[in-house]
Amino acid sequence: MFKLLAYLLSTGTATNTEPDPQLPTGVIGLPMIGSMPCIGPTCSQCKNVCPTDAIEINETASATKIELDLGSCIGCAMCTRGCPEGSIVNDNRLRTARTDRNDLVVMSGDASPLRKLGKDNRIFRKSISVRVVSTGCSACDLELSACSNPVFDLERFGIHVVASPRFADVLLVTGPVPKAMHAPLKSCFEAMAEPRIVMAVGTCAISGGVHKNGYAEANGVTPILPVDIFVPGCPPHPWSIVDGLKLAMSGADR
Amino acid sequence: MRLQRALLPAQERAEQLTQWLHKPHGRLGLITSIDGSQLITLVLDTETNTANCWETPLEGNRYQSLTPVTPQCHWFERNLWDLFGLVPDGHPRLKHNLLHESYSPDLFPLSKTVQHDYPPAEKTYRFLEVTGDGVYEIPVGPIHAGIIEPAHFRFSCLGEIIFNLEIRLGYVHRGVEKRLCEVPWKNQRFVAEAAASDTSSANALAHAVAIESILDLAATPRANFLRSISLEIERVAMHISDLGGLAGDIGFLGVSSSMARLRGNALRLAELLTGSRLQRGFICPGGVTYDSSEHLSQLRESTLLLQKDLKPVLEFFLSNQVARDRMERIGVVSPRLAKDFGLVGVTGRGSEQSYDARGHFSHGVYPEVRPIFIVKNDGDVLARANVRIAELQNSLNLIVELVDLTPEGALMTPMPDKLSGDQIGVGIVESHRGELIHLVFTDQHGAVVRYAIKDPSTNNWTGLAIAARSNLVSDFPLCNKSFALSYSGHDL
Repeated sequence: MFKLLAYLLSTGTATNTEPDPQLPTGVIGLPMIGSMPCIGPTCSQCKNVCPTDAIEINETASATKIELDLGSCIGCAMCTRGCPEGSIVNDNRLRTARTDRNDLVVMSGDASPLRKLGKDNRIFRKSISVRVVSTGCSACDLELSACSNPVFDLERFGIHVVASPRFADVLLVTGPVPKAMHAPLKSCFEAMAEPRIVMAVGTCAISGGVHKNGYAEANGVTPILPVDIFVPGCPPHPWSIVDGLKLAMSGADR
Repeated sequence: MRLQRALLPAQERAEQLTQWLHKPHGRLGLITSIDGSQLITLVLDTETNTANCWETPLEGNRYQSLTPVTPQCHWFERNLWDLFGLVPDGHPRLKHNLLHESYSPDLFPLSKTVQHDYPPAEKTYRFLEVTGDGVYEIPVGPIHAGIIEPAHFRFSCLGEIIFNLEIRLGYVHRGVEKRLCEVPWKNQRFVAEAAASDTSSANALAHAVAIESILDLAATPRANFLRSISLEIERVAMHISDLGGLAGDIGFLGVSSSMARLRGNALRLAELLTGSRLQRGFICPGGVTYDSSEHLSQLRESTLLLQKDLKPVLEFFLSNQVARDRMERIGVVSPRLAKDFGLVGVTGRGSEQSYDARGHFSHGVYPEVRPIFIVKNDGDVLARANVRIAELQNSLNLIVELVDLTPEGALMTPMPDKLSGDQIGVGIVESHRGELIHLVFTDQHGAVVRYAIKDPSTNNWTGLAIAARSNLVSDFPLCNKSFALSYSGHDL
């Protein structure tokens, strides 16, 4: 017992206290639109290799615009590797949560969108309880569990994962919500008191990802419940999930 | 490995399968169908390290169930009913597995030969009822208390003792096998990885091996080493996570939080090798996609460091008498039942089944490089924890060894645009949970007509139901963690 305590003290503090952590160099994040201009639809390298059709290339009179839907992107890095011009590059930022589905569609020349929750959440103050419903392949669940480890230490922000929807403020859904989970998810939502916030974590929860439009009707949370916060990624990095949860608490960027 | 089909009429199939499974080296890989007009039985021989694919043509949609004689067929036969509408006559407990009540009764998503001679019935489900004085039920799920995938557990208990546990799965059935036949083959790897993402490296490898065998091509030597390193990193990360979970359920929080921290270090190894914490998109048919050459020496150093960091934590865990008491003689699966139900991986090896696919079937640098195999015979939670701990240490040694041996050279063998026609490819991989099989069929034009996945959890879920019997309800979380099964890998 004392040996264990001595050991735990000897390992020091593992928690990362950086205010805005970023991905280390070489690690694959979501793609973003780079500074170099796109050479247009004749190339279409990125669009052709994208496994989830998340990229559109539109040509207007003045310039070529790339339209990138992060809500469909699985972060496979095929586009960033395939682009000959540097028009789509790797994004190492991790504050990726959005409060509007449309804000996940990024275009050349877009500024970072303003994030503001569409509901009054002042009653939460500085603490929220989160109910997790998992309906997918477990990648997002692993990253969500990692949020509670000593490095990310979710609880220091006042965020607590709870075992019942009755005392939860946030319903956090991972996975594409296949047909057999439609009814359980709805009843979980109905058991929550208002105000309640629904968070879709991961590309599957946002759009169905690689599973969308199949016979299992696994098209994400949006066809079933109104979603307030979207966290893209396949899976999103634990910092991105923490970012989404902090947004549920703060309501907007300050 | 490329396979040839052997035609086997129904009667002979039943006899041969029974004989095959009585041999000490005979294993059942999987049972499925291509389009509903035949049964496909994949059997493995772990002495000659070969696989055979038996095809049994069917007339109509009924066949004789083999579950009463070979109980490990039961899960496959339930899936054949759901996906193809094939009815096993004489199945002792035929219930829907993948398609629940909300699905239309006449949906058989993989069947191309709908010729049902009976009106499709409503998809109802009845749990086994245990009756008697004082027997009560505890229903759990589908949504669980923590961050866990969904399934329904129905415990029938007397006092604190579990009499029977029925596990209802299928809540995360997403139609992965059908989707794998719909996408272009070069994009299949993204869907295959998402079959179960805690096993993404193993799933990607099984997919790559199956596709390469269809094309009769091989990955480059360098890629094979990197693939094995990737597989071992996944094993290290998941074994740490599962042991930490076990410590957490015992209430040994110092160990569980240390394990959670060290799992992060294992994921850092994955980032160095593949650029992704969960190794997504790394292994592809032909080789690997990410050049980690400049990180390999750092990977080696970090592995040695992780090995050193793990040592005291594992010692705390194993030397604690309370932790041992919670694990000893709890959740026992006898070797006999482990063989009958074909249990694989850590669970199988905890119950005297010495099978490890790394010693038999070609994937990565295996079986040319032979890891040390660990077998225990107590079949309890402690045996499974001990197998995990020993494998964890061996895998860390193996990573260092493999990094040293990795040859220079290309990362990828160029791949053609089309797959070869009329072929059967199989990839058999030892994932951290056990034997994982991907079986792929192409038609004469080279299009994939059927893609079947057998996750190790498919074998082992029955093991959990057996292990829980006669144990205390409060010990169930320990049994569950010691199996550490995948819901999404089974449900697909």
